[in-house]
Amino acid sequence: MTVLSALVPRADFPLLAANPSLHYLDSAATSQKPRAVLDAIVNFYETANANPHRGAYALSGAATDAYHAARETIARFLGVADSDCLIFTRGTTESVNLVASAWGTANVHAGDEIVVSAIEHHANFVTWQQLAKRTGATLRIVELTPHQEIDLDHLRQVVGAKTKLVAITHVSNAVGAITPLDTVVEIVRAQSNALLFIDGAQGAPHLPVAFDSMGADFYAFSGHKMLGPMGIGGLIGKRALLDAMPPFLFGGDMMEWVHDLDSTWNVLPHKFEAGTPNAADAIGLAAAVRYLQALDMTMVRAHEVALLEVTETRLRDLPGCTVYGPPPSKRSGVISFSLDDVHPHDLATILDQHDVCVRAGHHCAQPLMRRLGVSATARASFYVYSEQSDVDALCTGLVAAQSMFAGA
Amino acid sequence: MSDVSLASLAAMYQETLLAQYRAPHNRRELVNATHTASRKNPLCGDALQVAVRFDADVIADAAFSGHGCSIATASASMMTDVLAGRTRSQALALVDDVDAMLTQATPTPHLPIGLDALRAVAPFPARHGCATMPWLALRDALHSRP
Repeated sequence: MTVLSALVPRADFPLLAANPSLHYLDSAATSQKPRAVLDAIVNFYETANANPHRGAYALSGAATDAYHAARETIARFLGVADSDCLIFTRGTTESVNLVASAWGTANVHAGDEIVVSAIEHHANFVTWQQLAKRTGATLRIVELTPHQEIDLDHLRQVVGAKTKLVAITHVSNAVGAITPLDTVVEIVRAQSNALLFIDGAQGAPHLPVAFDSMGADFYAFSGHKMLGPMGIGGLIGKRALLDAMPPFLFGGDMMEWVHDLDSTWNVLPHKFEAGTPNAADAIGLAAAVRYLQALDMTMVRAHEVALLEVTETRLRDLPGCTVYGPPPSKRSGVISFSLDDVHPHDLATILDQHDVCVRAGHHCAQPLMRRLGVSATARASFYVYSEQSDVDALCTGLVAAQSMFAGA
Repeated sequence: MSDVSLASLAAMYQETLLAQYRAPHNRRELVNATHTASRKNPLCGDALQVAVRFDADVIADAAFSGHGCSIATASASMMTDVLAGRTRSQALALVDDVDAMLTQATPTPHLPIGLDALRAVAPFPARHGCATMPWLALRDALHSRP
């Protein structure tokens, strides 16, 4: 049997290097950070720290240049030719809120429909639910197949003339199911004039993304799930839409002229980046992107599928183990499961004692949990530094949990 | 990374606790309950309802329903076992004692012997919320108007 090694040296990741016995299987929650990312952040503060766009002095110019170079790097990685259309935000959650607030408030009215799926993370569900509530629009929920994939036939039934926006995840954080975006785009374009918003929080870290040819109108992502720092992420949008949208937050940098009774707005991307930008973390994220580019995203994908297949085979051999979601070929590096007789919370505690970090809970997807008829599942998630020993430790821990709870 | 040992894990999941999880006491509807309340843990979706019946000034019976992990269920089972005969203020004091036992290093020698197995949860801060969930429901119930 082949032993799967990590795609990258674990020594690249200071936290993993300092804890060689740790089996970090919660990368869908947040990834570990390579040294290159940490160095880039420190280097910015040590060599280029000044407020971008503000000072008429060389240091501020250096900060501005570094910040824009980071935007260019990340835009190229995600297939965006016009980097002004990449707005830095705190992450996916803020990106969803930006569109719901700026575009939604101006464009969604009573009688309109907003379509989400039952598998969405709360960020891409509650935000639209509340927009609908605020505007008198109707929230339509696309149901799932028995393997927790978005039911495309139901999507066909739900999208229509009244649909103003369809918000769908690229990859499910709870079960890892990959949405066939080509088909979603086809359905939405053929049946409506709706905008298509893609939650890429679990897509950008694990799959090649080419926004310009994707056919979506918006794509949101989080840096910390793709080897970058917490507190930085982005919203990509089509220029015409972003240009037409009113601002989201008001403050410094986002305005052009401030008159006593009204103001005008700066151009993209600044219009949506009020206040001092998080330049250091944007630069850290660009370093993460360079790290991923060196690996090639198709290799990242292949590594995760290999790990999933090994894990899934072994989990299915455990009596009383239920694995959720479609087969590994249609999932990103997530395996969501439950064991008969062992509550996911108990499982996470026992696995923790085996130095295995998994998530136990509803994964911010309560609508999905209701449909599964469970209150929680356990979730192991992989990334570039995951390897066979992590799978082995997980399985050892699961057997220990089962024997501890035998007969419960 | 864990700062508690496999031995303390075994201690937490000792037979008493597991036995009460497998066959919880007082998991039933309480007829003529005078005080009820429920608690949910939004992190894991667990939900427990606690019901007590007072006879004059003392608790005559206590029961719980709902679903929870082993720690929450066993804690509810043990709690409902030790409430009979206590006044409202005694029961409220017990809620504080259990919380102190879990979260503070202060000794709680007067804790009823029937709650001893809960002491094994103390080294697992991530699970304190599971153990205290039925107790917080009890506190809510006792603060509710009968």
